[in-house]
Amino acid sequence: MAYETKKIKEGITIHTIETEKFKTNLIAVFLTVPLKRETVTNYALIPAVLKRGTNFLKTQEEINIKLEEMYDASFDCGIDKVGDNQVIKCYLEALNDEFTLNNEQILKQSLDLIFEIIFNPLIENSSFKEEYVKTEKENMKKLILSKIDNKDKYALESCIEEMYKGKDYGIYKFGYIEDLEHITAKNLYDAYLELINKAKIDIFVSEILKEIEENQNLNKLNPRIPNIVKNTEETEIKEAVEPKEIKDIKEVSQGKVVIGLDIAYNKKDSRYQMALYNVILGESATSKLFQNVREKASLAYSARSNYIRQKNNIYIRCGIEIEKYEEALKIIKEQLEDMKNGNFSEEDLNNAKKYMLAGIRTVQDEQDSEVTYYFGQEISGTFTTFDEYMNKINGVSKDEIIEVANSIKINTIYFLRN
Amino acid sequence: MQIIENSQIKEKVYIEKLENGLTIMIIPKSGIQKKYAIWGTNYGSVDNKFIVPGETDVTSVPDGVAHFLEHKMFEQENGTNSLDTLTKLGVNANAYTTTNHTAYLFECTENFYEALDELMDYLQHPYFTDENVEKEKGIIAQEINMYNDYPEWEVYMNAMKAMYHNNPVKIDIAGTVESISKIDKDVLYTCYNTFYHPSNMVMCFAGEFEPENLLEEVKKRLLPKENEGEIKRIYVSEPEEIVKKEEIKKMEVSMPMFVIGIKDSIKGNNEIVEEAIIKRHIAIEIILNLIIGKSSKLYKKLYEQGLLMEEPYLDYEFDKTYRHITITGKSTNPKKILKNIQEEILNLKNNGIDETAFQRIKKMLYGRTVKEFTDVSDICRMFLNDYFKGINSFNYLENYKQISSSYTMQILEEVFKEEKTVISIIN
Repeated sequence: MAYETKKIKEGITIHTIETEKFKTNLIAVFLTVPLKRETVTNYALIPAVLKRGTNFLKTQEEINIKLEEMYDASFDCGIDKVGDNQVIKCYLEALNDEFTLNNEQILKQSLDLIFEIIFNPLIENSSFKEEYVKTEKENMKKLILSKIDNKDKYALESCIEEMYKGKDYGIYKFGYIEDLEHITAKNLYDAYLELINKAKIDIFVSEILKEIEENQNLNKLNPRIPNIVKNTEETEIKEAVEPKEIKDIKEVSQGKVVIGLDIAYNKKDSRYQMALYNVILGESATSKLFQNVREKASLAYSARSNYIRQKNNIYIRCGIEIEKYEEALKIIKEQLEDMKNGNFSEEDLNNAKKYMLAGIRTVQDEQDSEVTYYFGQEISGTFTTFDEYMNKINGVSKDEIIEVANSIKINTIYFLRN
Repeated sequence: MQIIENSQIKEKVYIEKLENGLTIMIIPKSGIQKKYAIWGTNYGSVDNKFIVPGETDVTSVPDGVAHFLEHKMFEQENGTNSLDTLTKLGVNANAYTTTNHTAYLFECTENFYEALDELMDYLQHPYFTDENVEKEKGIIAQEINMYNDYPEWEVYMNAMKAMYHNNPVKIDIAGTVESISKIDKDVLYTCYNTFYHPSNMVMCFAGEFEPENLLEEVKKRLLPKENEGEIKRIYVSEPEEIVKKEEIKKMEVSMPMFVIGIKDSIKGNNEIVEEAIIKRHIAIEIILNLIIGKSSKLYKKLYEQGLLMEEPYLDYEFDKTYRHITITGKSTNPKKILKNIQEEILNLKNNGIDETAFQRIKKMLYGRTVKEFTDVSDICRMFLNDYFKGINSFNYLENYKQISSSYTMQILEEVFKEEKTVISIIN
């Protein structure tokens, strides 16, 4: 399938991923800015206000009616953290024109609508609408407080915050309650203008349409030189730290263990080795964690790990019986030692490769995964085709995995219990 | 093979029922690398009382057996685990249990037939020992505990308990730590032999396939089995009335969560008439969206008042023995949400349906269903799920166009009753 990029202005890129196999078209618009304590809450709040109304569709109700008329088109706009960047991700997914009942042109309408929502919001007296900002501040407060509702995610977030205390990556992507009281409809609109003028803008579409280039909302944007943070395995250098052990108490019936690992290994292309290390350690059903913590010791239902390439970290996560904490920890540490000592087979490595290759092939069958794949490349400033990616995975040797394993150290052990 | 085609969305399903009773459905999709296979048995958490074909006595099993069996099916006599074997093939394999079925699946981009070998091998060769059954209890206990920490799950189950007196839909699919302690290998074999018979099962595939070839490949891998007699399932009778109007529980949550349930009548009829239930389902979805969907006046009002942050999740769940509506959300004041919804139902009953909104919502629901036909896993799971309810998934698409507002009004009167409404709250 064809993938092309076109810079329409400095800092604004259109990515075209051509495909015919889906029932829907996905349009994505990402605004990327550095994740900073001073701006995080403002930027997190902006998408919520944008969803409330545009210059033409002044209320959420009107936007929703429009989406329903477009055969259940779905629009969403959320916040993500990608390395040291805060990314405002807006998606609009709508039915392919081909499947409409009366030959409607849904794709054109979709493009108009998503650009309208993001770049032409409802403005009153050089300010966002007071009432919208007021409600959304309240909602954001509730959203930030709801962090404790999902205890698994809460445990992971807490571990990350502990590891990155005082650093940009430790900032909560939705921001902070104490910032909200200073936000007004006026200063939030100023923040919005700053965002729209400075952010790196990436637009993902399934076909090149002249409508995109003729779109007034896009044309009025200025060129910009975005100052996004490029986090790659080469830029993330880890210093040796004493492992911390944190215990936290909440109302849980199951204990949640999160172990944050630092990877002090920053050679070019090492992400393929680390990704494979992670699959063998804890990502697949044949992984060491799944086999030893769950299948052999019967200590957990879920026992896995995931690799965050932008920050050179791996997070191990298990849900266990609270009394079995020491036992589980011992087994987990044994797996890390095993990896260092090369106690895994060529077969394990081959299985991990198959797992990764299947994953990368699957990406091409899912529009949202494809967008995420290409955006990841855009942010890290490297371009790797699917074929190159697969070749690199195939080329990794057992010795290289052992080398990676020996660069890995526990940074923080976090335990949530009752 | 029987071929059913939907020209509107350009999709076909090939269906074949084999002599041993197994149903096979194939949805060919070209141009994609993913292939998906799912093998399901019409056996879920509600099937805890039944008569084994050929016997006369009723067998009762502890809560959570169907799910326990799902965990144990992967274990092989030669000491291997089929989940590992499938993973080693570079295949993404999994299984899940619902109230009315258990399903085993894999998704792959290569090694499809090797994976099919394994899937069909392990599902036809159970291997349970005292030891491997005991070992699983620790793992499942942690799964149960994990769910106990999810307020979303608790608030949902409490709504079921408020609606149902006897129907096992009110029991946790995984059972309880106590109930699973009573499970042994004999119970597992009894349930396996009863329910994992081809005549009680269906296979569904989606991906780039030549249907006739695939059918032959499946047949080759099937062990010979006689068509089994009927499995008599014993369903306890369920009163029309709800148990109680509300159930409130405390958990550590930042904002109260709620599930509003409306119990629908099954009128002592255990057989589902396909067209009738599809129409009922669609009418109920339309009504729910008119009342509290994202474009509704009520949602706008509650949002502006800060009582809702996002539109509630609206659903109609049904099977042979139960039917109910759920409206799920978060609010600082769930009881006020309920009161407003009840007022809106009355309004709708008194003033009738706005034709513009009605047409728009129909169009929206149609679009939502078409979208389900993109991903091979969504397609297979939809066909399987609907099959066990006696429904061919294509038939929703036709019925969206045909449903009338007068029929919808009739369903509104029939189903949306205050005395059948419950609310479950976690705060």
